[in-house]
Amino acid sequence: MALFFLFGWMGFLLAGSALAQLPREPVQEDRPVYNVFWSSKNVGISTVRNPSEGSLNTSVLHTFGLVDGGESRRGIDQFFGLDDGANTRIGLEYGITDRWSVGIGRMTFNKVVDINTKANILRQTTTNSMPVELAVKVMLGITTRPGQGLEFSDRLSFFSSVMVARKFDRFSLQLAPMVAHFNRPEMAGLVIRPEDEYQDQLFGLGVVANYEFNDRFSLGAEYLPVIGDRNAGTQDAMALALNIDTGGHIFQLFFASSQWHNEAFVMANNRDRFWKGDIRFGFNINRVFGIGR
Amino acid sequence: MLCYYMRKLLSRLPLRQFAGLLFVLPGLLFLLPDQPETRMHDSQEGIVYYTRSGRAEFTSRVPLHTFTGESDNLVGMIDLENNVIDFYIDLRSVETGIDRRDRDMHRTLSLDEHPFAEFTGALESPVELVSGNEKTVTAVGEFTVHGVTRDVRIDGTLILQDDNLLLEAEWELDIEEYDIEPPSFLFLQVNEIQEMRIEATMEPRPREEILGNNDS
Repeated sequence: MALFFLFGWMGFLLAGSALAQLPREPVQEDRPVYNVFWSSKNVGISTVRNPSEGSLNTSVLHTFGLVDGGESRRGIDQFFGLDDGANTRIGLEYGITDRWSVGIGRMTFNKVVDINTKANILRQTTTNSMPVELAVKVMLGITTRPGQGLEFSDRLSFFSSVMVARKFDRFSLQLAPMVAHFNRPEMAGLVIRPEDEYQDQLFGLGVVANYEFNDRFSLGAEYLPVIGDRNAGTQDAMALALNIDTGGHIFQLFFASSQWHNEAFVMANNRDRFWKGDIRFGFNINRVFGIGR
Repeated sequence: MLCYYMRKLLSRLPLRQFAGLLFVLPGLLFLLPDQPETRMHDSQEGIVYYTRSGRAEFTSRVPLHTFTGESDNLVGMIDLENNVIDFYIDLRSVETGIDRRDRDMHRTLSLDEHPFAEFTGALESPVELVSGNEKTVTAVGEFTVHGVTRDVRIDGTLILQDDNLLLEAEWELDIEEYDIEPPSFLFLQVNEIQEMRIEATMEPRPREEILGNNDS
């Protein structure tokens, strides 16, 4: 009897001291790694990054003339390239799902309109259950410069790349074998000379690296060598970029050898050598709008 | 003098006979409900209403712009028999539609240290649920986010429908009360008042299955 009442005491005390609670369980331990790269293009090379579902990434890319003034070698006369006409590309990319986007862009040079799509086949995860990101991008380019006297099909170019990337803590690395095909090589802006060789098909290997100093600043680099036969007089492209995350925008301030804004045209017609001082200043602005919400 | 009379009075009381009351009274108190009673059907005894896929939303405002964060991972239990309400959400599952903004939110809320937002409390007054009828209720208890706990009152509705309990609730949360600094983007700052909304379809489940050893 005394025991019953002792338990009565204990029950009375416990009933008032705490409410039943569910055990707190995390939703998902294994998540995709965030920010393998900060934007869908590093400078001229596409990255594995895709806009998330229902969001629209807008980008404006500018690349100016040679910092050293080009042939005159008097950079100040051209205000270090800013007085030269910039090649500007305005682009839109919409995330249909978190892994698949479609996009369209248009750049000044050759008035090239590109329609593209990118899919993340694999996503790197926080537990390393998937150690790498793998994405595929395909793009159709249409040179819309008037007065060429060509068929529509002559104006077309095609591009495809497979991007494999991994983020190691603050450092990210991407390798992207790629292929470009031009129905007419001169549509890449080449000045065709009979004595030179030009390729309908070009292969390259894009290498992109990024190092995050903190949440706001990172340093990016890219190198795009053409593998195998190449167009006469062209050079492998390279760029260095400072990425700045303002909270709403990603700004990229960069120095690059190529003035072109997509890989097919960089491979087909970059004539400048980064390490020989053929450097151009440029900047990209990326802004994501959540239009799905 | 006063002490003298008190001792005399106490010495005349049959305390030995009443000593057992010291044990009996708490025993009786334990048998009494200590919280508002909710009228229930017999079939509801021993069950709680439970969800693992409730919806939680917050709406944030910055000048000229509004955005919403959403998650379908609200976990919760309503025990009408014992008048206990317990909900939590892993805030890392909340998405605003822009992963960069999600990351800023994670940083603002220190989610590595405090991943959960949680509410534990009870209904303020008894409620009698009749199938199909919407009942307005008020829950009182403690809401915790960012590692800071505050007492809150949250108004909502309950509907008993097809054996399930449908829950909806909305309230405003002043994030500064939880030591959360409103994020800012360039010159724009997120309003400190966040509009919160939850909804869930909660299924009846045996209390022991849901609470296990956590049922105190």
